[in-house]
Formats: sequence, C-alpha cells, structure tokens
Amino acid sequence: MAETATETPTDTPSTARAPFAPWDRRDLPGSFDVVETARRVGNYKWTEMKLFEALGGWIATIPELDVKMRLGTHCYHHAWHADLWHKRLPELREMKPERLTVPANEAMERFIEAMTEPEAPELTIEKLVGVYRVLIPRFIAAYTYHQNNTSEITDAPTIRTIKFILQDEFEDWRDGEMMLQSLITTPDQVRRAANHQARLEAIMVEAGGITGPGSIG
Amino acid sequence: MRQFFPVEDLARDERFVQTNMAERMKDVRAPRARSSENGNRVSAKSRAASARLTPDRHDASDAARSLMHGIMVGEIQALEGAGRTAHDFPTGDGTNDTIPFELKLDMARQAWDEARHVEISVKLSDWMGTELGQFAENTVLFQAACSNDPVLRLAGVNRALEGLAIDVFTQMKEFGDIAGDPYLEFCEDWMLADEVTHVKMGSDWLRKVTEKDPERRAKALEFQQVVDKLFSFGGSRSDSDESPIGLARRFRELAGFTDEEVDDIAQMGYDALEERKAAVKLAQAAAGAVAV
Amino acid sequence: MSEQTIAPKVSVAPEQFTFVKYDAAEIVEVVSDLAAKIGLANPIRVVVDETTPLAAMSSTIDGSSSDALITIHVESGALEDTKNFTNFNRHHAEISLGRMLLRAHDRLRPDFDAAPDDDALSLQEEAAWNTYVNGRLERLGVESNRQRWRYNFRNRFGFSDAADARFDELWNATDLSWSDLAAP
Repeated sequence: MAETATETPTDTPSTARAPFAPWDRRDLPGSFDVVETARRVGNYKWTEMKLFEALGGWIATIPELDVKMRLGTHCYHHAWHADLWHKRLPELREMKPERLTVPANEAMERFIEAMTEPEAPELTIEKLVGVYRVLIPRFIAAYTYHQNNTSEITDAPTIRTIKFILQDEFEDWRDGEMMLQSLITTPDQVRRAANHQARLEAIMVEAGGITGPGSIG
Repeated sequence: MRQFFPVEDLARDERFVQTNMAERMKDVRAPRARSSENGNRVSAKSRAASARLTPDRHDASDAARSLMHGIMVGEIQALEGAGRTAHDFPTGDGTNDTIPFELKLDMARQAWDEARHVEISVKLSDWMGTELGQFAENTVLFQAACSNDPVLRLAGVNRALEGLAIDVFTQMKEFGDIAGDPYLEFCEDWMLADEVTHVKMGSDWLRKVTEKDPERRAKALEFQQVVDKLFSFGGSRSDSDESPIGLARRFRELAGFTDEEVDDIAQMGYDALEERKAAVKLAQAAAGAVAV
Repeated sequence: MSEQTIAPKVSVAPEQFTFVKYDAAEIVEVVSDLAAKIGLANPIRVVVDETTPLAAMSSTIDGSSSDALITIHVESGALEDTKNFTNFNRHHAEISLGRMLLRAHDRLRPDFDAAPDDDALSLQEEAAWNTYVNGRLERLGVESNRQRWRYNFRNRFGFSDAADARFDELWNATDLSWSDLAAP
C-alpha cells in the first residue's frame, strides 16, 4: 500500500479570501424590485423613443446646418438607448417589451406632444429648449436617481447600461446647451426660450418626471 | 410637428437655392455637345476621350467640385430623409404603414451616418475650393423619401439613391486615387463602406417587411425603377464611357443587388443616354442650332 | 448668324439666346469693363456656345498688333449662375472672360510667342497659366476662390508642399514670360 501524505502544516497561511474585497463597498439593498425596475425601464424606453423620433423628424425643419447635423447624431444616441432598454426588458421577465413601452402617465404623453409641437424653421430655439433644457436634464436626473437607488449587486446590468447612457446624455446636453447659447443673442430670444422652458417644465412637474411621481427626473 | 413633411418645406439657410428634376429637365442643353458641329474647338491634347469623371479631363477639378457639392446636398437630404422615416411611422409589425422597431433603429443609425457624411462633404468641399450653396440643390432625393409607404422609401432611397451613391463614391474614390489627393480617396472609401451598409439595410428590410405581401414588394420595386431611371437621367450613370459615373458592380453585389438588377440599371442608363442624345439633336434642330 | 456690336470693339454672338437667358448687351458690358481694367484696346469677339452647359473656353488672336482681333469661344456654363441654371451670372462671367482676356493680353507679348494655342495647351500648362491669370485678376478686383485654383493646380502638379509653393509664386507673379510660366 502506498503511503499518503495527509497532514497539512498548520503554520501555512490560508489563501481563502473574502468574497468582497475590502474596497468593494457594494451592497444588496435597493429601492426597486424586478417589477418596479421593469416599469421604469419601460418608461425610459418609451421616452427615449419619442425623443429620437422627434430629433429625426426635426432635422428637415431646421435651417441651421450645424444644428441639423448634431440632431442627426443625437437621434442615433437616443435610438441606441431605446434599444438597450428594449433588450433589458426581457431580462426583467417582460417577454413582450412593447407592453411596458409606455409613458409614465397621461401628463408625460402631453409633455412629449408639447415638446414636439414646434415645426416652423424659425423655431429652432424652442425645439432645442424642449430637448436640452427640459427633457435631457430630466433624463440625467432620472438615470442618476435610478443608479443611486437600485441594488448595486442584483441590478448591476441596469447600472452598467445607465453608465453608458449617461455618458451620451451629458455630452448631448452640453452640445445642445452650446447650440442654444449661440442661438440666443437677444432679450426677445431669452424670453422665448424661458417661456417655452417654463411651459414644458410645468407639464413635466405635473407628470412627476419621466417615471412618474415619487422620484427625481 | 406634422407626420409627413413636404419637400417644398425643407429648411435651408439663405446660401442654398433649390431646384427639382422637372426644372432640370427643362434645360435642353447637351452636356457633351462639344464638337466641330457647333464650331467649338476640342483639344486633342488636353481633353480626355471619354466623359467619365477622371483627372485627365480638362475640367476635372471643376467637375469634381460640382459633383462633391451635389454629394453634400444629397447627404443633407439623406440625413433628413432617414430622420423622417424614423419619425413618420408608428412602431408595429410592418403592416398598415407601421414599421418594426428595429427598422426605426436602423433609420436613426443611418441619420447619424448621413450626418457624418455631411460633415465629411463639407470639409471636402472646402478643401476643393467650393462654397456652401455654390450650386443649385436638386431636391429629388428627399422627394423619394416623401412616400407615405415606408417600403417605397426603402426602395427609392435605400436601394435606388444609396445605390447611386455607391456608384458615385466609387468614381470619386478612383478620381482621388489617380489624382493623388490624400483626403478624397480616404474619405470616399469610408463613406462607401457606410453606403453599402445602407443599401443592404434597404434590401434586407424590403425583403422582410414584404415577405407576405408580394404585391407591395412589386410596387416598391417598380418605384425603385422609377427612381433609378430618374438618376440615369441624361445617361449620367451607366456602363458606357460616355457617362460621367460608372456602375460599381462589385459594391452593389455586396449591398444585396442581384446581377440581373445591376444589368437592368446598366441598360436603363444606356437607354437614357441614347434618349438624351436624340432629344438634344431634336432640340438643337428646332432651335436652328448655333452657327458661328 | 448675325452679330451685334453694342460697344465699340466688342461683339457677341449669338445676338439672341435660345437655350439660356443671357443678354448679349450685358456680356458686351462685362467684356468692355474687363478690357478697360486690363488695358486691352484690341477688338474682341465673344462666341457663346449655348447648346452645352459645359464651361470650356479658348481664345485666339488674329495677329499681334493692338488692332488684332481677339476671339473668345466660351461654352454657356462658363457664364452661368450655378445656383439658377440657364441664367447669366455677372461675377462668374467676369472670372471666366477675365481669364481669357488676360491670356490674350499675355499672348500679345513677344515673350509669349512660344505659347501653344489654347486648344493645344497641356493640362499642366493650362493650370499654371490659369493660376498666374487668376492671381492678377484678383488684384484687378475680380475676386475668385483661391482654394478652387489651388485645388486645380494640385490636381495637375501633385498634392505637395513644393506644388503649393509654386502655386503661390505664380499666383503672386506680375510679369512672367511664357518660359517662366512653363518652367517645371
């Protein structure tokens, strides 16, 4: 019979490590369960869709060539966001993504209608104000709120998606704000921008944000 | 914002002047009528034998500049058209004037691509010494993007017009290559890659959306032929050396065109060239032709 | 075809245009103004081929004296408003006809005897001469897009710093002979 070495020297340090490294502070608790997350994701997808459709439609109505080109680029960014959310929904047990692709409420629907109303070529300021001074700041807030409130462990895929999307939102917001600052050069234009922003903001407040009352954004 | 947007309302700044195919067709002058018939001189030394847009044409750089301007305004309209298709139709299964969600996404992607193409064309135009709006803008591309049937837009824009773009970009790429222009060949090569993608999108979606509706497919392909014929106007694009633009058969194949379809377009171009030559002869005879 | 002599020494054919909306009197005016700026006293005949939208041009001189007839053949596209096809554009016409007149002016110099006829110019010779002519035209007040001519020059001489330097030299030159111009 062969001899077996069974004894482990007691003075060898253990190689077993903690499952969470000391610097990994992620935690389990999150504000949203699967159903609530899916609902919010459906609202995001609906709103991103409405936004990319509006940007696409406006391109032909805008005479300023630089703005026209930027909207073409941003149109795709938001379409991509909609696609990311569309793909996330089945992972949240919603096998018919279109079922949850809805606005948070009727006021949100009205907001989109009001935002997309301007069409005339001289209304570029109004078009941009709706997107870059009202809706995109709301998106930034809503995504940040979601990212900071969801479970860092169970909902990691949503967080990862939000991080990609936020990168676009910040950059697009900056583009839009710079376009607006270059277009708004008279007191009358300042008033036009402010009035339109106030009108849209009021509807958005009524809607309670992109995902409805009870959160930010 | 309206659901459909008419070509007459396309927004432009004051540099641009728009025209359309009907206006262009009223111009009965012959693009290639330069011969001893009308008393003008032809240099054997400096004039290229064919009408193909190559650097050895005496008017090569001006012709290339004019074509590049045409490309630029075409890209603006392609951007606008793709954006409108992403906007104009509700999401659905492709029936009853709805379009699938993924098709909308492709249109948004195309809008981004076309926006880049406008950026590229503007830079190239500047490089070539052309001012924005220097030449009249023919709005025919957006007209093809105005159909109320999304499938007709796919046929007219993605297959016919973007197909033409494949031919034009191939010609310009070759021009840049032969001339040694470090930017032209490089840029056209990139744009060509995108155009092949757009034509393929059109081919794939057309097939998919009309899978169970052969009548709708036939109507779309018929519309594509009408647009293709418009773009063969005057024989400006054909396999003949008398046409400034040739047919890029290899790239068209990559984009989903069958050999038969490419042959049909080639024949259409050749017929248009002959028609134009005959029409010009008639017009010149009627006007008593210039004698000096 | 009849010719109309509206201003002294300048005539335009045809007298009436059929294919394009040009006015012979306006062309005469443009040519007369340009000739005065250039200091050209010769009789000038402009023959417009209105049957083509192309823009080729050439000029010939019937002798070398101050009364030798300068004949300019021009296709209608060279005088056209490129934003409104078949319409005349004065500025475009000035650039085109000015170029032909300055070339003719050069040809009256004995040191241009060796210059080939316009129709026999090589692509490079034509590009070099156009550069020299357009630079002077600009200084006479007929503004032209310099980049357009630089691009044309690069297409003929290469996309290089050396070609660009040669372009600048020709554009800024004032008193070249044909051998200066045709030098590689």
